[in-house]
Amino acid sequence: MRRLTEHDEAEINSILSREDEILPSSGFTVSVMDAVRREAASPPPIPFPWKRALPGLVVAGLALLLILIRVIAAIAQLGKAATPPLSMSMPPVPPPIFHGGLGSAAIWTMLALLVALVSVKLSMRVASGRM
Amino acid sequence: MNASASDDQTDVERVLAGNVSAFEGIVRRWQTPLVNLAYRFCHDRGRSEDMAQEAFLRAYRGLAQWRKEAVFSTWLFALATNLYRSELRRIPARTVSLEDIAEPPDTRPADRHQEDTAYDRDLAVRRAVFALPAKYREALTLFYFHDMDVATASRSLGLPEGTVKARLFRGREILRSKLPQLLTVPHLKEA
Repeated sequence: MRRLTEHDEAEINSILSREDEILPSSGFTVSVMDAVRREAASPPPIPFPWKRALPGLVVAGLALLLILIRVIAAIAQLGKAATPPLSMSMPPVPPPIFHGGLGSAAIWTMLALLVALVSVKLSMRVASGRM
Repeated sequence: MNASASDDQTDVERVLAGNVSAFEGIVRRWQTPLVNLAYRFCHDRGRSEDMAQEAFLRAYRGLAQWRKEAVFSTWLFALATNLYRSELRRIPARTVSLEDIAEPPDTRPADRHQEDTAYDRDLAVRRAVFALPAKYREALTLFYFHDMDVATASRSLGLPEGTVKARLFRGREILRSKLPQLLTVPHLKEA
């Protein structure tokens, strides 16, 4: 690529500095002011209801923490079970979280569904302002 | 762009005190520069007015955020530039490839006036600027819009002056390499 000479640069400057000016259309100011007035007349955005949501958030946070602790504990158990030399003849021991069988899984599922239902209902009540 | 800074400040204070109509003074003072700046970004008259209107609306919404240590126009141009750049990233303007920029034919009609030749050349150079990669195009657009003031252009772009200078240099070099014939055409008379 050829380097720019001073003459080239001056020429580009000269061409690009002479760009024609356009004028806004006659109704531009009115149109902008209409939009500004509409903006001014519209109600301010509804702030997030922190006061109402805070208890729910705290409960959700605690629940998450509990689940996290359980998961970490389960992983630790799994690690302990996997540490002894593996025998090809022995099936791996499942972690205690799987000990309950189908009955336990059904209870956990029901509990999860219940928590989901309660949180949906709660959020709907918060959104409709009935709380 | 010779509007009085004190007029802007007075109008801003009145708007912030609840007088929405005072914003009209700001619109009247800055509508032509803001529409022209938008036009240089998109080369579409209708779209440039839409973009300028959105810039004014954003300025109205964010008026309280204007720190008075900067001149109002600097703040307004930075806000508008930011909006125009993101608008064009969202919906790019119709551009032609730099390779497709038509260079002036070598065999021009003998009776053609020198002004026509110069006009064609200017148009081709502007189209070539429009076809540059965004970072060079934006630097060149702002630089020439602000009367070749690098400091103001860099404030509008929110970039260090050194970066803007480097982009200007590179942008002009690309232009020069893509349009060698244009810039060697006998020099036009200054308008």
